[in-house]
Amino acid sequence: MGTLELDKPGKTVLMMGDEAIARGAIEAGVDFCASYPGTPATEVPESLARVSEHFGIYAEWSTNEIVAFEAATAASLAGLRALVAMKQNGVNVCADFLMTVNLAGINGGLVLVAGDDPSAISSSNEQDSRSYARYADLPLLEPADFQEAKDMTKWAFELSEKLGLPCILRSVTRLSHSRGNVKLGVLPEKTRKAKFEGVYISGAFAAAQHAALHQKLEQAREEFETSPFNFYVGPKKAKFVIVTSGTGWLYSREAVAALGLEAKVGILKIGTTWPLPEKFIVDHLKNVAEILIAEEVDPFLEQNIKILLAEQAKTLGPIEVYGSKSGHRPAYGEMNQDKVVQALASIRGLQLKARDEKYIEQAKELALTYIPPRMPTFCTGCPHRASLWAIKSALKLDGRDGFVTGDIGCYAIGAGPAGYFQIKTIHCMGGGIGLANGFGKLDRFAFNQPVIAVCGDSTFYHAAIPALINAQVHNSNVLMVVLDNGGTAMTGFQPHPGSGFDALGRSAPTVEIENICRGIGVEVRVRDPFEISQAVQELYDMLQEDGPRVMVFRRRCFRIEAKEKLQKKYYVDQTRCIGDDCGCARFCSRVFNCPGIIWDQEAQKAKIDEVVCTGCGVCATLCPGGAIKVRGAAS
Amino acid sequence: MEAGKGSADLEQEVLGQSLCTSCGACVNICPYIKVVRDRVAVIEPCGLTEGKCYDFCPRTPTDIAALDKSVFGKTRSDFSLGPYISIEMAQAKDSEIRCRAQYGGVISALMKYALDAGEIKNAVLTRPFDGAMMPASVVVEESRQLEECAGSNYVSSATLARMNEATRQGKNSIGLVGIPCQVMALRKMQASRHDTGAKGVKLVIGLFCTWALSYKGFSEFLKKKVDLSQVRRIDIPPPPANVMVVETTAGDIRLSLDEVRKFIKPTCSVCYDMTSEFADVSVGMVEGVEDWNTFIVRTPAGENFIDKAKKAGVINTKPLEETRLEHLKQASSIKKKRAVDAIQKRTNDKKNLLYLRLSAQEKKKFL
Ligand code: SF4
Ligand code: SF4
Ligand code: SF4
Ligand code: SF4
Repeated sequence: MGTLELDKPGKTVLMMGDEAIARGAIEAGVDFCASYPGTPATEVPESLARVSEHFGIYAEWSTNEIVAFEAATAASLAGLRALVAMKQNGVNVCADFLMTVNLAGINGGLVLVAGDDPSAISSSNEQDSRSYARYADLPLLEPADFQEAKDMTKWAFELSEKLGLPCILRSVTRLSHSRGNVKLGVLPEKTRKAKFEGVYISGAFAAAQHAALHQKLEQAREEFETSPFNFYVGPKKAKFVIVTSGTGWLYSREAVAALGLEAKVGILKIGTTWPLPEKFIVDHLKNVAEILIAEEVDPFLEQNIKILLAEQAKTLGPIEVYGSKSGHRPAYGEMNQDKVVQALASIRGLQLKARDEKYIEQAKELALTYIPPRMPTFCTGCPHRASLWAIKSALKLDGRDGFVTGDIGCYAIGAGPAGYFQIKTIHCMGGGIGLANGFGKLDRFAFNQPVIAVCGDSTFYHAAIPALINAQVHNSNVLMVVLDNGGTAMTGFQPHPGSGFDALGRSAPTVEIENICRGIGVEVRVRDPFEISQAVQELYDMLQEDGPRVMVFRRRCFRIEAKEKLQKKYYVDQTRCIGDDCGCARFCSRVFNCPGIIWDQEAQKAKIDEVVCTGCGVCATLCPGGAIKVRGAAS
Repeated sequence: MEAGKGSADLEQEVLGQSLCTSCGACVNICPYIKVVRDRVAVIEPCGLTEGKCYDFCPRTPTDIAALDKSVFGKTRSDFSLGPYISIEMAQAKDSEIRCRAQYGGVISALMKYALDAGEIKNAVLTRPFDGAMMPASVVVEESRQLEECAGSNYVSSATLARMNEATRQGKNSIGLVGIPCQVMALRKMQASRHDTGAKGVKLVIGLFCTWALSYKGFSEFLKKKVDLSQVRRIDIPPPPANVMVVETTAGDIRLSLDEVRKFIKPTCSVCYDMTSEFADVSVGMVEGVEDWNTFIVRTPAGENFIDKAKKAGVINTKPLEETRLEHLKQASSIKKKRAVDAIQKRTNDKKNLLYLRLSAQEKKKFL
């Protein structure tokens, strides 16, 4: 049994932030979880799916975030407790529903976990989703550590139910993906039965509903005034206070300790960041002269506090505010202890002992002795490498300066050397085909470059279909290439509608991409990208045609395949390797660039890195010397 | 043959100038150059400054006299038809072959004999229709597979790319049927200092050629008139008809040749060879005589093979009348003259003839 199911109240266990959120939901008696995978929120629903049988939870990977949110809301309307988790971009996808469900209200506790990815470590943008709470007038909670991640989630359900509003819980990559101690709570008795009653319509009396919503928010503020997630630490009469939320709390504490300022600097930690617990804050800022706001990404807390200070100017008098506006904290990128230390030092005029200048250099060097330098690239055996090579070849053969519009997924690194620099635009889910759609209608303006929209299989279901319908209806000249590797690869192979299994790994009906295309009326072909010359030829032919067309490059990601089959062992027969000479010029390791093939400096020939090679064998079909062979096979 | 150039130069001087003949000599000798339909492209620069692709191409500098020496052991004395031993008319004895193949059926008959008699193990040649009107070059092992390769085609396919693939697989007793640009490239390969499997081609039968069509342009044109998958055969009946007949399952379509000519590949206008001057044996139609081919034996190896074929009773031959021979020479000279003119116009250079390196004597005739 894992820690999620552990029925030992009071016991302290090590948990990942996302698991702690899931455990909080379990302790709140969550019944329903629908989500679309996205870093860093993926592990919340994944954890719930893992224990869904045990706790009688329904869990699904939905087609996209808004569908997930709507499904979860349905459960709430039927009186159940429901959770939906998504990455920052997913919140944007949900925005339309968010701006109406707030007015129409809900019934059972409904929690939206928004996973923000500061520094865009695994995202196509950097975004601070907290503004959605203010925008939609919804209560916002920001856990600052692992214990809070669990406890806040549990409380969020109660709050949501009390207010009749969805509650937003914002996590960030550092919290979601690291591990820390969590003291377990009580596992509830689950008794809820689903029953729908009442009317939930947004729009009919929208203005009145909006007014009522503001009242609910006032009610939330009242709750927040006494919330244990807001507290102050530090000297009683501090003149300087750090106001912080989320990960900023731990960084602030460490920074104050590092600078030995415990006796002078107080920390006001806010866990309920929208609406602000105004009385609580004002109480703690009386007699304070300066504050530093330490939060991650946007100046969300900073701006709201500034408004509060302006409103309370009479009570509080002038307070100097340091934050992103004053240049003491960048309003982008991940937060860390150093940034708080720097800010404190510069405000207080402290001399920091500078790090040895060579420190970073030496650290890098040291790191590189263990990790070979490598550009971001596809895994060994990745079908996308072959697909992008086929695309590059077809576009080059076509010769009209064609280009590729990209989408969201691991193939996005195709914009760099891994994909031979083929992808020229990347925006949001479905953005590639949407753009291509428009490019495909520019012929009357003398536009004659062919356009290929690449899109992952999961992305296809998520957001590409309306644009494809649009392309069909308007006869737009676009070739869509669906890179179908059989799952949502970027986030760890969650199933999608074409996978044939569900969140629990049970077999499920499939919706085939090609059937959707046929239904729309678009010409569609399916090819294995590892049959490279046929793939190039067909793609080239399709480029010569007008109107919308779809090519599905279908090959399961080798990571899934390798789990199922014993992999083949490839090696380079160095007597046949052409190497640097005319006729090859190191194609495999230099150009095709699979990390499984390396250059043997000594022999001046290619070599398979057996540790990394997955045995996909595509290099053997491309090697002009017939030098890449399977061990044990007849030559 | 100028050394010291590579794929970047090939791209610049040949592919980028629409001079590529789609012969396929540069394809399948390394991973960088690919062909689809009749489009050849350097997919990624290989980074080498010198290589086979440039060396083999029939549109990079080609010294005709030097190539004569390497193929025939001597330079030419006939400047209109190139070196030859004999010129006759010929036809296949087997009337069935004759009727399937257009005109005299000599090529099918000879290839069949060569395979059956073990003179060669594989034949590399072109199947005129591989769906949607595009011919496909194929490697054939048994003579019965030859049937589908009968008939003419007016789009060239990268036969040498197919040959390169075959030699890479170790095939080394090949008979090849090609058009003049392909034959020229093949001979350049065989003469090259680079390592190639082209030496495994033992018998070269060259076709006559006056032009080929660009697949993209012509197919798009034809697509507007007929579903390409219905096309069965394309034929240009002898003058003065001035038409191209496209036989389809839905009936014949007659196209004016003037219209069709718009899609001739630009490189054909600088082509200097009508009769496959570097082949072992060249075969073409005889104007005004259906059922018979013009038949030029050029090399001793070709002569030796034809003698055996004649003995085996595969083909009938008869002399080519003097007037017809004159006519042939004239036609070939006109093509050369036109090519030289076109080159001069294209380059604005009266002396250096782009890729053509002619001896002083030959220059005198055409400049
Ligand atoms: S592609 Fe083949 S011939 Fe070329 S370097 Fe790699 S192993 Fe050697
Ligand atoms: S490897 Fe050789 S044949 Fe291939 S493109 Fe480079 S120079 Fe040409
Ligand atoms: S070798 Fe043949 S296919 Fe290659 S560029 Fe030259 S003419 Fe074109
Ligand atoms: S005319 Fe010359 S270049 Fe054109 S296809 Fe015929 S032989 Fe080749």
